[in-house]
Amino acid sequence: MSLLEINNLSFTYGTGTAFEKKAVNDVSLKIEQGEFIGIIGHTGSGKSTFIQMLNGLIKPTQGQVLLDGTDIWANPKQIRKVRFRVGMVFQYPEYQLFEETVEKDIAFGPQNMGLSKDKIKERVESAARFVDLKPELLKKSPFELSGGEKRRAAIAGVIAMNPDVLILDEPTAGLDPRGRDVLLSQIASYHKSSNNTVLLVSHSMEDISRIADRILVMNKGNMFAFDETKKIFSRGEEIEKIGLQIPQITKIMIKLGKKGYKLPSDIYSVDQAVYEIMKIRNSQVSKKKG
Amino acid sequence: MLKEITLGQYFPGKSFLHKMDPRMKIILLTFYIVFIFLTKNYVSLVIMSVSVLGVLFLSKVSPRLYFKSVKAIIFIVIFTSALNLFYGTGEPLWQWKFLKITESGINTAIFIAVRIISLVLISSVLTYTTSPTDLTDGIERLLKPLSVFHIQVHEIAMMMTIALRFIPTLLEETDKIMNAQKARGADFESGNFMNRIKALIPILVPLFVSAFRRAFDLAMAMESRCYHGGEGRTRMKVLKYTKYDYIALAVLTVIFVGVIICNLYLPATLRSGM
Repeated sequence: MSLLEINNLSFTYGTGTAFEKKAVNDVSLKIEQGEFIGIIGHTGSGKSTFIQMLNGLIKPTQGQVLLDGTDIWANPKQIRKVRFRVGMVFQYPEYQLFEETVEKDIAFGPQNMGLSKDKIKERVESAARFVDLKPELLKKSPFELSGGEKRRAAIAGVIAMNPDVLILDEPTAGLDPRGRDVLLSQIASYHKSSNNTVLLVSHSMEDISRIADRILVMNKGNMFAFDETKKIFSRGEEIEKIGLQIPQITKIMIKLGKKGYKLPSDIYSVDQAVYEIMKIRNSQVSKKKG
Repeated sequence: MLKEITLGQYFPGKSFLHKMDPRMKIILLTFYIVFIFLTKNYVSLVIMSVSVLGVLFLSKVSPRLYFKSVKAIIFIVIFTSALNLFYGTGEPLWQWKFLKITESGINTAIFIAVRIISLVLISSVLTYTTSPTDLTDGIERLLKPLSVFHIQVHEIAMMMTIALRFIPTLLEETDKIMNAQKARGADFESGNFMNRIKALIPILVPLFVSAFRRAFDLAMAMESRCYHGGEGRTRMKVLKYTKYDYIALAVLTVIFVGVIICNLYLPATLRSGM
């Protein structure tokens, strides 16, 4: 049984009005425990609506989301329990900070779960460690922190609920390149050490390709592709056609391929590229010698 | 869900009323309201309510929207009419213990209902056919004479424009914050009164913080474009009366004069003072 099973999921805005719009159209897929999934698509491709259906913030107009085999809307009164298991970090999460201290803010989720005081303290501390927030910051007001620290504190607020599935919507938006790299590697190490499922929504193929096991590509509300990272990039040209960026190195490889070099089409990291190019070069050199 | 709230919403269009000058619309609306309450007999009441319907038709805004705005106040209409129904004087037509219905009571009830509904409809026409910026522009121009009394008309109008501009933005923001807190298990729907109030703190604090942030950003943006208040400021779009305004003025003057004549020469249905 898959951790998350999504069957024919659709959502239509403003049914029956002039503004009727199908935001998500008939998406079906399965996500296993411990996977790292990247979700990519344009603004308006339906990815935000899609992820909000996974934790019951939006009720699908059609289809269902099965968490451990049970429909999350089977008992609408228990939807909060689903939200504790499927944690969601929204875009610019620092704007949701409200408590007097960072510690209390991170504790908001665990408190709503009804955990004991000791348990909450433990959760807060380990969540802060995951996002690398120094202990002395915990006693400060969240509004005194720097932008990057605020962002990490807000993410810790969701991690503290210890969700089975962690969904992050553009967590690196608005951060400087260094902050982006640091945050991404923290998310990757959280994924490794907790072995929880992580869904990461991003605009940047470069970011996603580095850490995701599988990638879901959304286009105009439809599931364009859902496959292993490697296989996704072997369809690089198709993906460019729907207007998404592919990693620069993949572009170079495709162009070299067109020039007649025999290169595999599923390369998305510089290391792989170097390896493949060196292989060709060496064979040419040895041919000349021979 | 918060997006569905309509607050004096504007519906773009190209109707006669859309083309009118906001100043003329505001002036005529004021007269409309006065004359709706000046009607003393059924003839003048019919003249006014038929002309209101005419204006609604001219606005080319979907009747559904007008219906919605009336639906919002229907309880007030029923309540006040019912109250007036039993407060008439004269021969009772029907009596049960202390409750009695008289002819004057029936008349007052009908007048009150028609007046309130007309009032709401005609006011909705203004907000439906005038964009918020036009509306505040019009108010600013009309209130300009007040600057003689050192009232800062331009500043007031600018505040109104900004407030109107930010209503949808803040609603959207509220929606986002609510979702984010719900995702952390916040519960807005259950619990007693005190718990529900407490549950609002996680929404209100971030909302205030973001409202202030937006205010600072906006002030900075305005200053960097050299905004310094109303003095010596010229407009890109200068308000001008056109033929539409003169036609509307002429037609409504005829209607208003008609109402006055009816009031003077026909017997009054309502007691004086109502």
